[in-house]
Amino acid sequence: MAAPPATTPYPLGTQPPPPSGPELLGSAQNPSFPSSSSSSSSSSSSSRVSFLDPILLPLNSAIQRLQETRSKLGLTNPGTVEGLQKEVKSVHATNFVFDGARADLTKALSINPIFQVTHAFSMGSQAAPSSYNFGAVYGDSNSFYQAGLDDGMNVTMRVNRQFFPGHTSKVQAQLASTQGQSFVQLEHDYQGSDHSANLKALNPSPADGTGIYIVNYLQSLTRNFALGVETIYQRPSVDMEEASTGYMAKLFGEKRDWVATAQFQGQGIAQATYWQKLSDQVEVAADLQVLAMAQKREAQATLGARYAFRMATLRAQIDSTGKISSVYETRLSPAFGLNFSGEIDHLQGAAKFGFGVSIESGGEMDPNAPPPAPPSVPM
Amino acid sequence: MAFSEDTKERLVRVVDVTKTVLHYGWVPFVLYIGFTRSTPQPSFIKLISPLA
Repeated sequence: MAAPPATTPYPLGTQPPPPSGPELLGSAQNPSFPSSSSSSSSSSSSSRVSFLDPILLPLNSAIQRLQETRSKLGLTNPGTVEGLQKEVKSVHATNFVFDGARADLTKALSINPIFQVTHAFSMGSQAAPSSYNFGAVYGDSNSFYQAGLDDGMNVTMRVNRQFFPGHTSKVQAQLASTQGQSFVQLEHDYQGSDHSANLKALNPSPADGTGIYIVNYLQSLTRNFALGVETIYQRPSVDMEEASTGYMAKLFGEKRDWVATAQFQGQGIAQATYWQKLSDQVEVAADLQVLAMAQKREAQATLGARYAFRMATLRAQIDSTGKISSVYETRLSPAFGLNFSGEIDHLQGAAKFGFGVSIESGGEMDPNAPPPAPPSVPM
Repeated sequence: MAFSEDTKERLVRVVDVTKTVLHYGWVPFVLYIGFTRSTPQPSFIKLISPLA
């Protein structure tokens, strides 16, 4: 007798994979963390090492009690250290400003699994020469591949792969056609029920151990407070070593409608951010960066807002160096979008403006059938 | 880590070969994976031409 697949999709005793998208991990308690595994595994081994029972059993029950107390606290995953300022970055225009003319053609060839190719053209930029970029993205529920190729034959590559629920390994690389411009980053990300950890290696060399190595850990302490630590170890050449440790804190509202973060990095760099959702349409964010080194003291504050209209997004931003910037993205039809970007630096008398079109076309899909739900890709 | 000069040279060569293989093979690989696993399977011309 064939059981309906929805009722018993997994054999008894195995855990179904949790929703793997980062936004899902942050919102609900993650079932991936097996809180009672320590008790079951050691009870089976205790028959073989039963002479250790007087030591192991109390230890076991203590661990179990600790786990129970911990799960009773109802802590949620605090998000990643990398995504500490994710909300602020999505509100501020800094990452969205461009100049010159741009055209992006995106073809969504498949929704589940996600497969799309993009052709991006840009010209007339003050900073960069005209360029063409081809990109392909593939994603299903446990892997994500991205490939990029530009007109200078440089290849960019990203691979995210989820081997176990909560564990994601990532490779990011840039393979340049000229010698010595290539770059690789290996990363492993772990998200537990109330903590997350991340290991990163930038340009590691197995031959002489050079490279940059980063390890960080973020732990929820109460339901709206998380504390983290990050250590960076740099070894640019065999006889040069440097290490620094930074700390970060994250405070958020009960309904996740505001987030405040503070981060202090080794060498005297500190950053504080605040993000608030004022209504369904409006979000505001502030950011303060302080550089206090021996030879250089600098600070910069940025204030920005994002308005989400029905078919458009407007980002506006002003910072303490006198720069005003704004990005307006509108979608005239589901397949055709227009982007405008402007930045005026009043103190230096500089300005840059950008105009972009984005055209999206779908694959051959049945217009009457409901669109398939996209998979939650490991990011 | 104490590697002999020979091992080091071999490691460097392996890294170089991997880099070259990925440089030329990565974009076709992603296109192949996407092309074969997509539902419905797209036509080949759609895959590479910006105009189709």
